[in-house]
Amino acid sequence: MTPKSDTKSAFLNNVNERSDELERISQDILSHPESGYKEQRTSELVANWFRTAGFEVQTGIGLTGVAATLDTGKPGPHIAVMGELDSLVVPGHSFADENTGAAHACGHHAQIGSMLGVAAGLSQAQIKAELTGRISFFATPAEEYIELGFRESLRAEGQIEFFGGKQEFIKLGFFNDVDIAMLTHTGGETAGTIGVGGSNNGMIGKTVTYIGRAAHAGGSPHLGINALNAAHLGLAGIHAQRETFRDSDTVRVHPVITKGGDAVNSVPANVQLETYVRASNVPAILNASEKVDRALKAGALATGATVEISTSPGYLPAKYDKQLTEVYRNNAASLIGDDNVIELPHSTGCTDMGDVSQIVATIQPTANATSGTGHGIDYLVENYDLAVIKSAKAMGLTVIDLLSDNALLAKKISGSFKAPMSISEYLSRMRGFRSVTMFSE
Amino acid sequence: MRSLALNRIDKHGDQFINDAKAVYATAETGFNETRTAKYVADRLSSLGLPVETNLAMTGVKAILKGSKPGPNIAVIAELDGLLVPTHPGVNADTGAVHACGHHAQIGMLLGVATALSDDEVRKHLSGSVTFVLTPAEEFIEIEKRLTLKEAGQIEFLSGKQEMIRLGIFDDVDMAMMTHTTSGNGDSAISIGGTSNAHVSHQVKYIGKSAHAGGAPDQGINALQAATLATNAINSIRETFRERDVVRVHGMLSRGGTSVNAVPSDVLYEGRVRAKSVEILEDIKERVIRCYRAGAMAMGAKVELIEVAGYHALQQDPGLIDVFVRNARKIVGRSEVTVNKPDQTQGGSTDMGDLSTIMPVIHPYTNAAVGVGHGDDYLVEDYERAVNIPAKIMTATLLELFTNDSLGAKKILKNHTPKYSIDEYVEVQRSRFSSTLYEDE
Repeated sequence: MTPKSDTKSAFLNNVNERSDELERISQDILSHPESGYKEQRTSELVANWFRTAGFEVQTGIGLTGVAATLDTGKPGPHIAVMGELDSLVVPGHSFADENTGAAHACGHHAQIGSMLGVAAGLSQAQIKAELTGRISFFATPAEEYIELGFRESLRAEGQIEFFGGKQEFIKLGFFNDVDIAMLTHTGGETAGTIGVGGSNNGMIGKTVTYIGRAAHAGGSPHLGINALNAAHLGLAGIHAQRETFRDSDTVRVHPVITKGGDAVNSVPANVQLETYVRASNVPAILNASEKVDRALKAGALATGATVEISTSPGYLPAKYDKQLTEVYRNNAASLIGDDNVIELPHSTGCTDMGDVSQIVATIQPTANATSGTGHGIDYLVENYDLAVIKSAKAMGLTVIDLLSDNALLAKKISGSFKAPMSISEYLSRMRGFRSVTMFSE
Repeated sequence: MRSLALNRIDKHGDQFINDAKAVYATAETGFNETRTAKYVADRLSSLGLPVETNLAMTGVKAILKGSKPGPNIAVIAELDGLLVPTHPGVNADTGAVHACGHHAQIGMLLGVATALSDDEVRKHLSGSVTFVLTPAEEFIEIEKRLTLKEAGQIEFLSGKQEMIRLGIFDDVDMAMMTHTTSGNGDSAISIGGTSNAHVSHQVKYIGKSAHAGGAPDQGINALQAATLATNAINSIRETFRERDVVRVHGMLSRGGTSVNAVPSDVLYEGRVRAKSVEILEDIKERVIRCYRAGAMAMGAKVELIEVAGYHALQQDPGLIDVFVRNARKIVGRSEVTVNKPDQTQGGSTDMGDLSTIMPVIHPYTNAAVGVGHGDDYLVEDYERAVNIPAKIMTATLLELFTNDSLGAKKILKNHTPKYSIDEYVEVQRSRFSSTLYEDE
């Protein structure tokens, strides 16, 4: 048996040999951003890469997802290494698509590079020989929870059930026998560091329609029912709840008005809002959601309007596995030094890695390689070596630790992981979040 | 005979002005006007009139009978002051102030009573004049008055409403009074127009108290509920038609107890006004939805106590004609303005209630400066505030009684009251309610 250090060295050499290509792929994706469930080109690029590398490839998972598996030939734990395919929509970003406004303002393009780096580095007979189990590479669609109208239409057509790509992967059974999952996200903390640990808020999404009665806004406002006023009161009611949100629950409710009326000389009769309700734990999400609903209904009651509140499952809170984090931390430290591996705070943003973390041992470290504001027009990956190459290396080294020695460590971590819910429980819970409420007097 | 009566007013004019000023100094709020009532009762007794007191708590009634039977016409003055703490004339003992000029009404009533109680004048009267001093015209201190209601001391919350219920107007055929004003145009005297109907709401938000710093998540904030409700009311204002003269206003009488506790007991006192009780019904329902919405948004409860308010004033056209004719003789044609019947400024008076059961007039004498109910409202021209309206009302009464009360009888024949007294009392009772809205 080869010493593990030799296996790791071989892996690092493999990644180094491909580093130009990996960075180029990420930059190519940066220049061709596609938002969630529309990642046709990105998906094809990933699928072709795997085919060229000799993998059997599954495509069209949750519309655009791609999966490929590296099997050591020895039964054992199953590790998922992931990258997200989708971009945001941020018109004005220097790499925004001129037509769609899509832009990689969240660095997902680097994730694809780092995921492929792990595949490139491990796909060698002498390395496979030292490992036990399987490594799957999941390129997942639609992590950003946006364009809800479009996704709702996909859902209505039966093309997807959930708005997040990993959720579709879970639903379609891709996580049924996965034991451990990982993905490296870019981040903007102290440049050159890698963040580990942390946690994320979970969320649910709401689309809200107030239906009033149109009338001439100057001539006969008394005949109208002002849906905009109803919405305004609904929002004011939401704000009045804020003092009841506990610090420890890190609740976020941040609505937008997506339609505020049709013509300024007509009493607005159809007004639409979207909001998330985020919190660090599911009971807090449900509690805040109930308060948001009653506030929204009160807007309708006050004005005599009707309100339809459509609630959709969003993402679950993310809790990252401590043992897995320690394995990763050591490997990241071996690459960039102990001092450069930092502890992540709780993040009030959400990710569908949260859903994954509820069913398998999961980590989502961040490679702090960017400048600008996350989701802003100035968010750019500055350090591709860290975002793509070192991220690939840290994950690959972690996989080697996990699956070496008859996958001893992977089995230990998987065995001691207590999943908050089974996959079937997960699916029924997520489906339970879905509701449509109509209210009027 | 007319000049005999009017000369008596001229002769004793200073006394009536002093009466008004004496009452001004001892201003008292509604149903508390004990000193004011005693003062007027003593003055009426000194004129030899039989006086009834303690009617509807503090009201006073005195009948001056003519030599022959005939219609009974009431001259009314209002006893109560207001609460305007920043007014320079505040009575230090009671905190009340005559920022609506009711004290002048008392002076003019005593002027009319003095003029008519002259034996020579009296023997020409075919009918009688009833002087009614009514408590509590200002519809304020609702919590206190509800306590009186609870204790069985009153049933309705204003003086004229309560006096109607108690039968004090049963023998009265028509009524008049003159109110001071600082507006209503430039002329000395104005008449005509209407006033708003109103309803009063005690809106009690019941939340749950909790440490506002330590455990706000455990509380239910009743103040937020009330605030949301007032915002909601503001947002429906665009649906109010100008011609309905809607006024929705209120105040937070209790906004919380301690600033470090989530407010759990908040009282919003609301008032909804519109040009008729019927229109009021529709507006009121929409305002109530807003109260409920505030509670619903916060998960609070809201208890709504509806208190029957005033009816819109309908002044009798025939009685207006007689008053205008006599006013013109006294102050000159150009100094009398007759408003259109639907003219209103949005305020309310319980003369409106009286107008649902009999012919009434409610003219104004332009004798004050400042904003009505404001801290700068002062009666400046006491001759115009007291003696001139006393003369006009005296002359009006004499004309009504002339020729065996031909004028008064004609007015009564042409007048169809909206309600009988029993109907009025029934309507008012039906306008009280108490509803708890919870778990909406």
